[in-house]
Amino acid sequence: MPPIKSGLQKDVLKLYRRALRMVRSKPAPVRAKFQLFVRYTFHDNATKVSPRNVSFIEHLLRKGTRQVEAYEDPGVKDCWVSEDMMAWDKVWRKGTQRTTA
Amino acid sequence: MQSVLSATRSTTKRSFSTSARRWQAVPQQKPVLVKEFKIYRWNPDEPEKKPQLQSYKIDLNQTGPMVLDALIKIKNEMDPTLTFRRSCREGICGSCAMNIDGQNTLACLCRIDRNEKKNTKIYPLPHMYIVKDLVPDMTQFYKQYKSIQPWLQNDNPPEKGEFLQSPEDRKKLDGMYECILCACCSTSCPSYWWNQDEYLGPATLMQAYRWIADSRDSHGAERKERLQNEMSLYRCHTIFNCSRTCPKGLNPAAAIAKIKLELAAD
Repeated sequence: MPPIKSGLQKDVLKLYRRALRMVRSKPAPVRAKFQLFVRYTFHDNATKVSPRNVSFIEHLLRKGTRQVEAYEDPGVKDCWVSEDMMAWDKVWRKGTQRTTA
Repeated sequence: MQSVLSATRSTTKRSFSTSARRWQAVPQQKPVLVKEFKIYRWNPDEPEKKPQLQSYKIDLNQTGPMVLDALIKIKNEMDPTLTFRRSCREGICGSCAMNIDGQNTLACLCRIDRNEKKNTKIYPLPHMYIVKDLVPDMTQFYKQYKSIQPWLQNDNPPEKGEFLQSPEDRKKLDGMYECILCACCSTSCPSYWWNQDEYLGPATLMQAYRWIADSRDSHGAERKERLQNEMSLYRCHTIFNCSRTCPKGLNPAAAIAKIKLELAAD
């Protein structure tokens, strides 16, 4: 049986899924960029913030919801990916290859 | 030659005694009046730190008369990281709404209490999510305002020119159109604190009535229909905090009472 998730965890996952669904609505050539942006933002915050800091996670949730709402606008057709994000992506990909190999 | 020299000397002397510098007022030495301001601080970039009150001491005789002047002075001279919204500094934009000494008001319209023995506490608007320091998250408030469709709706526009209105009809809008949506009233309302997601709050309801009362608007029935449920309007229990706190001296409670009357009369 999988561990029972708290309401807060469910809310975070809900937002993550919504953000990933937002990625799918974007034009194919830039989809990878959007996906990296979403994944980096969530993973980065997950490492930086203590899971006990509930009030701050709630703050991030509100901030994230507003951000996703803005990105869901069909007028948003591209996003910017920083050096940090690409570096993180490389490390992350290596890590997964090692585990699968 | 001698006389010429002395003449020029005397003119130079006279020009000095009447020169612009002498005419300027001599700055008076005012006594130092140090007052303590305690300001709510919270920075989202430092998640492990809890919100706290930070103390600033400034000389009131070197500051403007309003709380906003003091905040700007603190930001300029003492702590550039202090964050707050401000724009017009004359009570017409509604940006600097905050809780000063327990009262929701606009910092630019609130005089500093000159009693130096007492400190002044400044908090953001109560029961709002905080973005940083004194900046609240107003997304929900604006969403609610949008939900009442605050624009003129009339299916039969006049054939030419503008909508006409009698002076009496225009008078009905006085005391409502002046609202600047600073959210002081809504955030002072306990009903709004507990039901922010469904209860519209005094500011939004007063604007709803502003459009119901407008003689040029023909969608009054639909507007009232939208308020006809338990939460949107009837969460108002006539607490009157809204009218007491309004920095513009308006009376949202009266507008809400009029909506209730019209809904009951329907």
